[in-house]
Amino acid sequence: MDSTTAMYIAQSLNGLAYGMLLFLVASGLTLIFGMMGILNIAHASFFMLSAYFCHTFLDMTGSFLLALLVAPLIAAFFGVLCERFLLRKVHAFGHIGELLITVGISLVILEGVKFFWGTEPYLVAVPEMLNGFVPIVDLHYPVYRIFVIGLALLILVLMAAILFKTRLGMVVRAAVSDADMVNALGVNVPIVFMLVFGIGTWLAGVAGVIITPILTVFPGMADQVGLDAFVVVVTGGFGSLLGAFIVALFLGELNAFGIQFIPKLAPVLMFAFMAIVLAFKPMGLFGERE
Amino acid sequence: MKQNLLNWIFLAAIVIIAAFIPMIFGIYYSNVIVLFSIFALYAVSYNLLLGYTGLLSFGHAMFFGGGAYATALALTHIPGFPLLLALLTGGLAAVFLALIVSPLLVRVSGTAFAMLTLAFGQLLYVICLKYREVTGGEDGVGGFPIPSLNIPGIVSIEMTDPLKYYYFALIVVLLSLFIMWFFTKTPFGQIVVSIRDNANRVDYLGFKVPHSKAIVFIVSGFFAGIAGALYAMLQDLVSTDGALTVYMSFFPIMMAFIGGIGSYFGPIYGAAILTIIDEVAAAYTEHFELVTGIIFILVVLFAPLGFAGFLNFVKIKWSARSSHQGTAEEVS
Repeated sequence: MDSTTAMYIAQSLNGLAYGMLLFLVASGLTLIFGMMGILNIAHASFFMLSAYFCHTFLDMTGSFLLALLVAPLIAAFFGVLCERFLLRKVHAFGHIGELLITVGISLVILEGVKFFWGTEPYLVAVPEMLNGFVPIVDLHYPVYRIFVIGLALLILVLMAAILFKTRLGMVVRAAVSDADMVNALGVNVPIVFMLVFGIGTWLAGVAGVIITPILTVFPGMADQVGLDAFVVVVTGGFGSLLGAFIVALFLGELNAFGIQFIPKLAPVLMFAFMAIVLAFKPMGLFGERE
Repeated sequence: MKQNLLNWIFLAAIVIIAAFIPMIFGIYYSNVIVLFSIFALYAVSYNLLLGYTGLLSFGHAMFFGGGAYATALALTHIPGFPLLLALLTGGLAAVFLALIVSPLLVRVSGTAFAMLTLAFGQLLYVICLKYREVTGGEDGVGGFPIPSLNIPGIVSIEMTDPLKYYYFALIVVLLSLFIMWFFTKTPFGQIVVSIRDNANRVDYLGFKVPHSKAIVFIVSGFFAGIAGALYAMLQDLVSTDGALTVYMSFFPIMMAFIGGIGSYFGPIYGAAILTIIDEVAAAYTEHFELVTGIIFILVVLFAPLGFAGFLNFVKIKWSARSSHQGTAEEVS
């Protein structure tokens, strides 16, 4: 195998890893959008919050596994608090109020992060047990990225199982397509909303923890990943999990190969793709409504 | 009518006070006031979209930053570029951007509109960050010459003097505010308001909703571009972080919302309130944006009509009390 083929394999695996991470963030976003009709601007902020918690936990205990378990849960707890005490209060004022509340939350989280952790970036080392390389043919690929892909796949399968095989998943899917009707059928929709918001922020939190050894932890990380996640949700179709999955993987690859071949244009490619999709399908690839 | 008269008297009073501020408070506060008036113009131009047309945009920094960059680049590369033309360049660059993006934007509304504007704003941010040979990347464009205001044969005013720039900026802002106010009072401005309230009905009445939205978008962009040009010439520096970040798009939203989106003058109050908060909080903590964010959340939660709505509420209470005096019980 020559070096060009090795490069192609490495880049496509990198793209896959980033695409899976993107899907973890975007799936929560698109579920929340499907249920509440708003795109949560603060979603990526919870992702960042979780990354900072992970950094703190690593400092305190040194166990990456513990950080992976606890940090997303704390982020999800904050998410649920925001849903219960802020978003629900403005639900009656319509979508503009809700969007603006999420803008406010994202500002407060950003400034809070700067307040408690400062603005300097933190480097998080790859955990000991995952530090190493796997030989793929004669290419040495970092184990950690394989772990990222595997974990994201595991979560994806679990989520699909819950969504499509359980009664709760059925209620959630029904509420995504028509929350009022589900409410009228006697399901406590506000609690389902809260649960979905919690799970969505938890997913973002998991992504936030597992991205820390790849990316540094810094106050701009929410913007960086959040924007990609927004593009995924917008082009995949608002509220469509399948669309989010396909577009996330595609954008991951587009990003990886874009950086390889045309580094200067790489960030623009994503937007160009979005503009083209929206010019032909204003609701996104798999979207059924605006 | 009485309400408008009061507002104009209020405005006239501010103008007179503003004219004398540099003599009373010195040059530091006059610079604060120039910044405030630039942001007031920016916020009012934004409110043409949010308050008047009901379009929530998360990408208004695209126009502000685009205008700022265009002015800065024109002044850097064209020797002897006149001041008023530089100002106009900012506005026209914003119009150009608005013309490019509006065909995609006018077909959608609500959340999709918000997300698309966010994406386009970020796109411009990324482009400006990456094409460092033109835009200077993170460092931005700075140190360009600020031209003098030349009226041939009559007068030539040095704009590098902060005091003179103060008066110049104030006049430009006031003129722009007046033009936009006039714009909202035209028949077209009324159509725009009815698009906000019921787009379908406006469509059935035979008005072209997408075209009207595009025109508002362009007008709003033009004045945001003017604000950006003023900002560029005030700072003598334009950078991506200073003019194009998503937070620059959030500022006018916060100003408009805190001041009150239901009123033409609301965003001006909002800009004033935020400027005061920033000045006061910055004296105690460097994290004054935390304070701003919390206030913003509280306003959205508890006072969705903002400061102008609060003023209105007080006024209604007060006039109800005075007109019913002695004849009826107070109606709560």
